[in-house]
Amino acid sequence: MTARGPLAARETMAPDAAPVPPDVLPARRRAPIARLLRAEVRWIFRRPRTLVVLGLLVLLPVITGVAVDLTLSGAAPVDAGPPGGAPGAGGGPPIFVTMATSAFVLPLGSLMTLLMLMLPLTVAMAAGDALAGEQSHGALRGWLLAPVSRGRLLLVKTVGVLVVALVAAGLVVASGVVTGLVLAGTDGLVSMSGTELSVGGVLWRLAVAVAWATVYLMAVGAVALAISASTEHPMLVVVGVLGGLIVSVVLLQISALDWLHPYLLPSSLTSLVDLIRDPVSFDGLAEGAFRAVCYLVIGLSVAYARITTRDG
Amino acid sequence: MPEARNGSGTALAARTRGLRKVYRGTVAVDGVDLEVPEGAVVGMLGPNGSGKTTTIRMLLGLVEPTEGEIELLGVPMPGSADRVLPHVGALVEGPGFHPFLSGRENLQRLAAAEPLLSGRELDGAVSAALERVGLAQAARRKYRAYSLGMKQRLGLASALLVPRRLVVLDEPTNGLDPAGTQEVRRIIAELHDHGVTVLVSSHLLAEVEATCTHVVVLNQGVVVAQGALDDLLESGSPTLLVSTPDGASAVDALRDHRIPARLAPDGVRVDITTTTPATVIETLVRAGARVDEARRERAGLEDAFARLTHDVGELVGELDPDEAEVVR
Repeated sequence: MTARGPLAARETMAPDAAPVPPDVLPARRRAPIARLLRAEVRWIFRRPRTLVVLGLLVLLPVITGVAVDLTLSGAAPVDAGPPGGAPGAGGGPPIFVTMATSAFVLPLGSLMTLLMLMLPLTVAMAAGDALAGEQSHGALRGWLLAPVSRGRLLLVKTVGVLVVALVAAGLVVASGVVTGLVLAGTDGLVSMSGTELSVGGVLWRLAVAVAWATVYLMAVGAVALAISASTEHPMLVVVGVLGGLIVSVVLLQISALDWLHPYLLPSSLTSLVDLIRDPVSFDGLAEGAFRAVCYLVIGLSVAYARITTRDG
Repeated sequence: MPEARNGSGTALAARTRGLRKVYRGTVAVDGVDLEVPEGAVVGMLGPNGSGKTTTIRMLLGLVEPTEGEIELLGVPMPGSADRVLPHVGALVEGPGFHPFLSGRENLQRLAAAEPLLSGRELDGAVSAALERVGLAQAARRKYRAYSLGMKQRLGLASALLVPRRLVVLDEPTNGLDPAGTQEVRRIIAELHDHGVTVLVSSHLLAEVEATCTHVVVLNQGVVVAQGALDDLLESGSPTLLVSTPDGASAVDALRDHRIPARLAPDGVRVDITTTTPATVIETLVRAGARVDEARRERAGLEDAFARLTHDVGELVGELDPDEAEVVR
């Protein structure tokens, strides 16, 4: 235990021989932000719940890919199949078989599907645990007393949620890519416009998808943090966020409310499809990102107002 | 900024003026003028719900007071929290840790936020704190598997991660067995020896009497007494306990001399507010009463506490009925 040397020395001379006279407190010192972030990220990824959800997110593209592959290859030998069991009597065109399970469409499709509920759920859970969950354990007090100022606390928590969003979206796409490569190799890397895409062309499109999804998820996360800063029940955060998303999706179905639609977060989701086109049209993605940033700013502002006034 | 001092010139580690906290119309703490002398071990006493924890939470900047001023180690709170709090260790409202992390990991997480620890010192500080509260053996076990006493010890360890100037402990012996209680007393005594100021709240009178140099008594959000423990104990009417087989005649003799006295189990209890022990003995011997033993009776903290709080009422729950009767 080499590290105990200096500490033991400090302890014996405290507090009379402290380096400053007892009447004067030294100027403020703060724990380095990088250390707080490291501790936060370590804590997030030690939480069993986080690991279970991330594991599920990895699994879902695999299941989708394998299921589509089995269904379509099962439909291919039409002559031998029993008439009741075979789905889609004619079978899909071969190009569609390879496209749906390709290393391009599978990750993007999985990401779009999971962005509806599963990924927002992951982020809402992380945000709920970040403030409300910690508060309910009484563990937030430890950092507040260290002290970590409330602004820095929110910053650390926001970065924590960002890391979860990025890792979650990244894992979905990575898992989709790997599954696609295993099932179809580099076949079917075709845009919706019918052009062949290079591996590089696929990778940057997927990178844009992950980045965009992270921004979208951070909008959800910011709102979740705002709720999280106002309650002690992490479950309330998850319910609030998912409830809000479901209501938004329902409202999006009502054409009489189309004046409201531009303000609803999930209306951006369809723009991810633009990444499958060639050349990519960025208008929808940019609009979606802007909408997400608006939610992000409002959410974090409310969270800041709440965290600085709440009782610790 | 000059350090806060009280009337007699002692430096104060903590001071409040007119502290008041109202929660949704309920007054939790009202007009609290607290003085914690530097280097003292101050026991904060009061029945449950008397405002101890609220006062402590305000001292540490966890809760904004409705009214009043707070100074901690000579600077205002919560304005200068980032300067003061690194020197203050605290265990408030029970330990707050994460069940899925081990005791050591929980402490490491807290140590990461301590401004006074450099990156290299973190591991050593965590080990030393665990050692100090006797948790070194259980450090790798999940917090979930800890007993109540071990959880409390871990909370104590978090308050001792860094050499502090002020340590605030809210009900530190909650859930501890007698050996654990003893351990907490030892740690408090150790801190005291190093000149660290300790503020410890408790509803256990014996606890405070055994460990503290000063006492603050709270009742219904109001400070009903504060000062050195000895002063508080002496402030009741002084009595002399005389063992004698001739109790009845002794009481008569004393009363003849206008000295208040009454029968006690194996002798008499004499009020010596207006007289001296020597006079009492002399009177008894002259009256022919045989005196086996005479000693000053020091009121326990329990009596003092009862005396201080019974006027305001509500305290009786803390005492058994017999004692409450004696007080009246």
